[in-house]
Amino acid sequence: MNDSLLEIGEKAIKLAEKMGSEQAEVYVAQSRAYEIEAENNAIKGASEQIDAGIGIRTVIGKKIGFAYVTTLDASDIEEAITNSLNLAKASFEDPDFVTLPSSVGSYQKAKNIFNKEVDELSSEEAALLLIRTIDATKEKLEGKDYAISAAIQSSSSSSAIVNSLGIAMAEARTSISLYAYPVIKEGEDQTASYEYQISRALNDIDPEYIGTKAAELALGFLRPQTIEGGEMPVIFAPLGASTILGSGFAGAVNAEEVQMGRSYIADAFGENIASEALEIIDDGTIPGGLGTRTFDAEGYRSQRTPVIESGVLKNLLHNSYTSNKDKVDNTGNAARPSYSGLPRISTSNFIVTPGKGTLDDFIAEMDKGIVCRNTGDRPNMTTGELSAMVMEGYYVENGEIQHPLKNTLIGINMRDLLQRVSQVGSDSRKTFSMVTPSFVIESANVTSG
Amino acid sequence: MEDLATIAIEAALKVGASFADVRIENTSTTIIEINDGVSKQSMASRLKGAGIRAFIEGAWAFAQTTDLTPAGMRSTGESVAKMALATREKVAERFEIDGPTFQDRFEYKVKKPFRSISIDEKMSLVKMIDDQSRDFDKRIVSTRSIYGDMHTELYIANSLGTNVYVENSIPRIISAPTVKDGANRQRIVKSLGLRGGYEVMDADEAQNIGNAAAELVIELLSSVAAKGGSYDVVMDPILNGVMIHEAFGHATEADNWPSHTTVLEDKVGKEVGPEYLSITDDPTMDGKRGSYEYDWEGTKTKKRTLVKDGILTELLHTLETSSRLDMEPNGAARSQSFMHAPLSRMSNTFMEPGDWDLDELVQDTKNGILLCSFNYGYTRPSVGQFMFQASHGYIIENGEKGQMVRDVSLAGNILEILSKVDAIGNDFKLDAGSCGKGGQTVPTMSGGPHARILDVPIGGM
Repeated sequence: MNDSLLEIGEKAIKLAEKMGSEQAEVYVAQSRAYEIEAENNAIKGASEQIDAGIGIRTVIGKKIGFAYVTTLDASDIEEAITNSLNLAKASFEDPDFVTLPSSVGSYQKAKNIFNKEVDELSSEEAALLLIRTIDATKEKLEGKDYAISAAIQSSSSSSAIVNSLGIAMAEARTSISLYAYPVIKEGEDQTASYEYQISRALNDIDPEYIGTKAAELALGFLRPQTIEGGEMPVIFAPLGASTILGSGFAGAVNAEEVQMGRSYIADAFGENIASEALEIIDDGTIPGGLGTRTFDAEGYRSQRTPVIESGVLKNLLHNSYTSNKDKVDNTGNAARPSYSGLPRISTSNFIVTPGKGTLDDFIAEMDKGIVCRNTGDRPNMTTGELSAMVMEGYYVENGEIQHPLKNTLIGINMRDLLQRVSQVGSDSRKTFSMVTPSFVIESANVTSG
Repeated sequence: MEDLATIAIEAALKVGASFADVRIENTSTTIIEINDGVSKQSMASRLKGAGIRAFIEGAWAFAQTTDLTPAGMRSTGESVAKMALATREKVAERFEIDGPTFQDRFEYKVKKPFRSISIDEKMSLVKMIDDQSRDFDKRIVSTRSIYGDMHTELYIANSLGTNVYVENSIPRIISAPTVKDGANRQRIVKSLGLRGGYEVMDADEAQNIGNAAAELVIELLSSVAAKGGSYDVVMDPILNGVMIHEAFGHATEADNWPSHTTVLEDKVGKEVGPEYLSITDDPTMDGKRGSYEYDWEGTKTKKRTLVKDGILTELLHTLETSSRLDMEPNGAARSQSFMHAPLSRMSNTFMEPGDWDLDELVQDTKNGILLCSFNYGYTRPSVGQFMFQASHGYIIENGEKGQMVRDVSLAGNILEILSKVDAIGNDFKLDAGSCGKGGQTVPTMSGGPHARILDVPIGGM
């Protein structure tokens, strides 16, 4: 499949050049995603998404246009090229644009990102995994009034990037994810929780673990209470840590945001911005990572980029545009939503280097404070101010969980949060946006009521 | 398109499906983004394809294709029906899909169709807005201005006999400047989104959005982070809309009933708020971003009275939920595109106005906070929890508006929040939004009057 995508790409590049594009880039992708959903403890439906499309970036001088279409028909591709060129012509010149990337140095071939078992997973096998998950959840919730939602999703995709400067790269990838979401009712009280796993390989998925863990978590969130607020330490479990750092910090080291003066760490390059306990690396080359790829969304080679080392901000994340503008090396962090968008900047595998201890250890060591298992919040990226609802969390006193929390918010500036990291755990897990263990911050402003 | 839909439906029925439906879409979009006077994104797209569902005895299957040939539609119709049949053995609850059928052709007429406006003209508009916010004050260090338009042609047919052709046209303009004064940096997003053609951009509010955003972001330089604690909160119409949308609207989506994932499950026909409170979701409003004539299942849509005088009276239905709950269908099934199966969704959602003057409302608030506009919000209807963030606000002391604050977060519980609404204003405004659910985003509006909620927790720094 990779060869045919490359061929479509090469053809489109030739046509774009013939029609007047000085430089051109094509992103062409094909994917098959399969999903089975369950609600109220039983399977409900299945869906199959077969998607193929092409996005074309054209360059005239320092003016850039982009168009995409959800088919790979020759006439649709030609229309997209025409639209892309018309948009380039009408655009306002970007003086900072230098060139599309060219192939530099050697590429490190991504390992374990395509898993045959996922690619060939049958609907029966997928349904079985889902049923095993639900059964495990049910077993743990026996005797309770519950309703379990769950889903399994697998996808297998190929993408190719071709540009007029000689880049022609193609790669196939798979991914699979499975979750369980039990809702429990007890009298007037109703609560829920969830657990999931996501991986490129089928044998990383453990339905019994997911089902059991989701049920245990949900049971633990019954009868939530508010607490008396104030300054207190906060433990972020991996999911919470991943939202806070994977979106709240990763967005701040995006070179485009920094160049535009929209990031709260805009003036801090090379400075001490975090506690010594916190080390963060972006690594697009680790075997089997969800963000692992031989090349980024512009076809540039992947690499390992230290972001925070010994508390110092070492690197920003760049694509070809921002690295040309700053006259620094491209870090290979171009990212795009498949063929349907221009390359922006995103993390590959954003990894917090593990330290010592687990969530349970941190709770046992806590005098008085809270645990935030998860939040859906992000900071104001310009000021760094974060006000995060504890979506799932607990109140801890004398080393023991006292009760789950409700209507509780954590307030802190991201710059302070980074400096106040006192402990980083070893209980790392993969989430949708990063790989991180639990970590502890010395204090934050907690409001509850 | 009718022939292609019929081929797919017949193929699905022949394999054994008891119900099948098809959406064939042709959508064009344009996005023009200018940052600091230079083009950042000049983008056009075309979404062309069909989404097909098959159903049998409680089991659903969905698939999409971009192969809009008779052979492509037939093979997708067959494969989706086979998927439904394979799923049937594993479902627990058996039910059927039924509902009224519609045959109609709705052409949405606008004064200035997007395709009749040149790219140069759209580009100049965005440049003008971008220059406007940058020229407003020299402390504005970065500007970001975005124009987007989307024109959709959609054909929907199902095996019950519905076949409907609809069109939609939604433009949007956004200004997001960043200001810097010493170490103090602030940013704001202002947007205008309605239903209509390019003529929407001729209105004063669109033409001056760069100035309005710039004025507000300069004002934000004097703001402080709010102090955490419980406050009496006066919400402006935009934030009130976000509260109604997040804290209540999502929990009335009827697909939560079969899955038992809403805290409102036992509340239909019962009191959920004070008797002076009513909440409406109305897709029939003229020229609003969340409006449409037929939903993505081809059901004619109507105004829904979600809460009437404090009582939960109506839910947001798809054909599945109205069939299973034996309630009246009201056309609330929406999809982001042909690539997605329809879900029950909101349209234009708002609190009905009351009788308080805004001035009275502020004067009557001894120690509180006036919260305006919003950054984002989210909710978990299964637990009853919600959270949203106002972009800015003003402390109210002894009935007087004082110090400006920014990014004020408010968390609460769906079952508790409405009973805390104690005063409702007599004004009204709707604001454009985009609502996400199950990986799908659809255009919506939300709003209402100013309103006060007593004693709610607000996050502080």
